[in-house]
Amino acid sequence: MFRRLILVSVLFAAVPAGAQWFKLPTPGIPRTADGRPNLTAPTPRGPDGKPILSGIWQMNGKYLQDIAADMKPGEVPYQPATEKLFNSRRNGAGGKNDPAARCIPGMPKLDALPYPFKILEAPGEVIMLFEGFTTFRQIFTDGRELPKDPNPAWFGYSVGKWEGDDFVVNTIGINETTWLDNAGRPHSDALHLIERFRRHDFGHMDIELTIDDPKAYTKPWTVKEDLRLIPDTELLEYVCNENNKDYEHLVSQ
Amino acid sequence: MALAALLTSAVSAQWLTNKTPNVPRTPDGKPNLTAPAPKMADGKPDLTGIWNPNPRFLVNLAVDLKPGDVSMLPWAEAVYKERAAGLRAHEEPDANCLPQGVPKIDAAPVPWKIIQLPGQFVILYEAFTQFRQIFMDGRKLPVDPNPTWLGYSIGHWDGDALVVESNGFNGKAWIDQSGHPSTEQLRVTEKFRRKDFGHMEIEITINDPGAYTKPWTAIETPTLLVDTELLEFVCSENEQDIKHMVTKK
Repeated sequence: MFRRLILVSVLFAAVPAGAQWFKLPTPGIPRTADGRPNLTAPTPRGPDGKPILSGIWQMNGKYLQDIAADMKPGEVPYQPATEKLFNSRRNGAGGKNDPAARCIPGMPKLDALPYPFKILEAPGEVIMLFEGFTTFRQIFTDGRELPKDPNPAWFGYSVGKWEGDDFVVNTIGINETTWLDNAGRPHSDALHLIERFRRHDFGHMDIELTIDDPKAYTKPWTVKEDLRLIPDTELLEYVCNENNKDYEHLVSQ
Repeated sequence: MALAALLTSAVSAQWLTNKTPNVPRTPDGKPNLTAPAPKMADGKPDLTGIWNPNPRFLVNLAVDLKPGDVSMLPWAEAVYKERAAGLRAHEEPDANCLPQGVPKIDAAPVPWKIIQLPGQFVILYEAFTQFRQIFMDGRKLPVDPNPTWLGYSIGHWDGDALVVESNGFNGKAWIDQSGHPSTEQLRVTEKFRRKDFGHMEIEITINDPGAYTKPWTAIETPTLLVDTELLEFVCSENEQDIKHMVTKK
């Protein structure tokens, strides 16, 4: 697992600086007198008064490793079988079993990848474009209900709505093989994710993520992940299946 | 392979019967796909929607062209003959769950969705759950960019046609399944024209002096899909084809 993480970091560092569209100023960004983005300026708002979430965002990397990084020991309410499975995966012991090692991303880890993602707000849906795996999520805001008993999927099915200044996304229908984090925290097919996107100021956002999975955890639990805006740049192409050398070196239980 | 994946998608998957808003319908409620093409508030065509490629162009982009329209350099002709004979199926990027590249991804036998926003358009491809960004903010194509599978794309309106120009390709993609080659010199121009509510044409020009003696142009004909949604398509999940494919030793 850690070997994989190191390789991922090397890959990131090896992106040539000559690739283009990295220095185009993002329009609409408040700037200080010297032209730098003012990331503590107020949250931008649309004509309807709701916060605008559009932009390129990067998650604090610690949550990819450990979604419970900010929790105290004993606070994650594991069911016994869940804790046993988690312990069997720790310290890289199950790295080969992580679908991401085979270039398959899944929720909720997708949000926490160490690469940026772009939020675009379109009529009827919010789109998330992920540099990691060059993939996307659609979050429907057209009032549709979550599907009943849907075909299990890696990203699940997401609907979003505004509650005050929070954009609240409910997701179900995630297949049980995805991991919550690189440490290997499991979930079941009963997983219901609630993400609350909250943009505090121009350059900072939280995703308050609730794991509601009664088959795997004794009660819902919540973590708060922080993101920062990345101005004046653009997403790169990331193709995991191209020359993936990690998998053969990973171990499994 | 892709077709098999499509067929195994469970019909119980949801949101496949949600009504698409703003679709003109006949009195019996069926979509009227020959109604006029819709416009945006600024008068430009509205290309938004889920479009289903015509798969005949996936196999051979030049299917409607005359002999001689596609004029390959000798090396490209030799490679193409082997690929078209199936001798290099194992090498096709699609078979390795690698991006199909442009323009092949437009012809993938699964739908894609156009999202039309200020400053940029996005195409969400069901194929491999990948996307392209098409920048409409006036930026220029990059000069000598890092080579990629899906390239760098900018768009502008030419009358009622959305003209998308792309460069920065890695030369590994096949133009179609029969194996028309590409090189890093490839430039693709796609002209998207919505003819009426339910029908689109994409005029695709392949300009690649590394592989062809002259540019060549083909026209694809996707049709609108209404009252449905994209499915998830994860190529690396249980991929069983490649071990059965042949490769030239």
